[in-house]
Amino acid sequence: MARDRSQELLAHADALYNLARYLTGRDADAEDLVQETYSRALAAAPRLVDGSNVRAWLFQILRNTFISAWRHKKRDPTVGGLDTVAPAVEPPVVDDAMRQAAARDLEAAMLTLPEDARLVILLDLEGFTETEVAEIVGCAVGTVKSRLFRARSALRSRLAGYRT
Amino acid sequence: MTCDDVRPLLLAYARGTLTDRAAVAAHLEGCAACARLVVAEGALDDALGRLPQAAASLALKRRLRGQAPPAPAALPRRRLALVGAGVAALAAAVALWLVLRAPGTRPVEDEALADHLRVVASAHPLDVESGGVHQVKPWFSGRLDFAPRVGDSGDDFPLAGGALAIFEGRKAATFVYKRRLHTISLFVVPAGGLDWPSGPRRVAGFNQRYWRDGELGYVLVSDVDGGELDELARRLRAP
Repeated sequence: MARDRSQELLAHADALYNLARYLTGRDADAEDLVQETYSRALAAAPRLVDGSNVRAWLFQILRNTFISAWRHKKRDPTVGGLDTVAPAVEPPVVDDAMRQAAARDLEAAMLTLPEDARLVILLDLEGFTETEVAEIVGCAVGTVKSRLFRARSALRSRLAGYRT
Repeated sequence: MTCDDVRPLLLAYARGTLTDRAAVAAHLEGCAACARLVVAEGALDDALGRLPQAAASLALKRRLRGQAPPAPAALPRRRLALVGAGVAALAAAVALWLVLRAPGTRPVEDEALADHLRVVASAHPLDVESGGVHQVKPWFSGRLDFAPRVGDSGDDFPLAGGALAIFEGRKAATFVYKRRLHTISLFVVPAGGLDWPSGPRRVAGFNQRYWRDGELGYVLVSDVDGGELDELARRLRAP
């Protein structure tokens, strides 16, 4: 693989690590996850077609690596299918609480969400389009829309707890 | 449209990115609950702008770099034309490797150099390209929870564009300038809690110029002459 390709992959290390940290909840696990992701990416890079969306491809590898190699390691009560969770009948509107939420409160609230909720919120925050998110998580664009809505509703509910 | 139809579209509506807004707008006129959700989606976007961002440690980056295959010893003749760009990226990587291994360097100076080398080595370092600071600064609005104060760099230091970066684990603004064939990076970082240097530094052959403006720390990094970097710093600090 060309050296410049490995440099290109390295340019995304910070963003990958940030997502990994929110998925695993632990710095050490996040580092291992990024390292395994990078290892898999280097192995697969020769098959990467020129002009591919390398950034989305890397996040897809990280997501798949997390599911296959990490998630089964723990019994996380927040692990679950967001698509199977019934949406709140009337999601609370807590914009005052959100405006007052400190950074650490936001982080804590994020970490209480199911993994797939964290994933879609963070991919959206990273600036990925709904089409790219759909490619990364392996679902339809319409599913991304509804999953993101549910995830953000759940986060708003968590942040309501920080209302002062 | 029902509430269930509309709600997955409200985020795009709140962000102004929904192409077909008429049907949603019609629903919102008669549905106070969904209208409140539009406000809530905007407020949540604002809040998520404060979500802590974590950057990969230097040790992890060093390990990742160690996984990459070594550069080939010889290149086919037909690829020699590409050597110039390759050498620049490789030189940046080698300089980064050297500085990361250099004992006694300080975290902010290391981070400034590493981030500059990423700009130099990246094929697409800019999120927004521009011919002027009045196009780049507004682009950061909504993407950062602070506003960089940057003066006019002048025609001899053209602004190539800007990008978001993670600097010492916090969101930072990157401005990229050109000086002949050289690249100059300016990083603007919320510096609270950081041991922000002041004045000139030289790390691994790269000049750095630091200053602060309130809570914001500024650092210029480049391989241009120190006097030229001083001149650019003077212009950027001008109100």
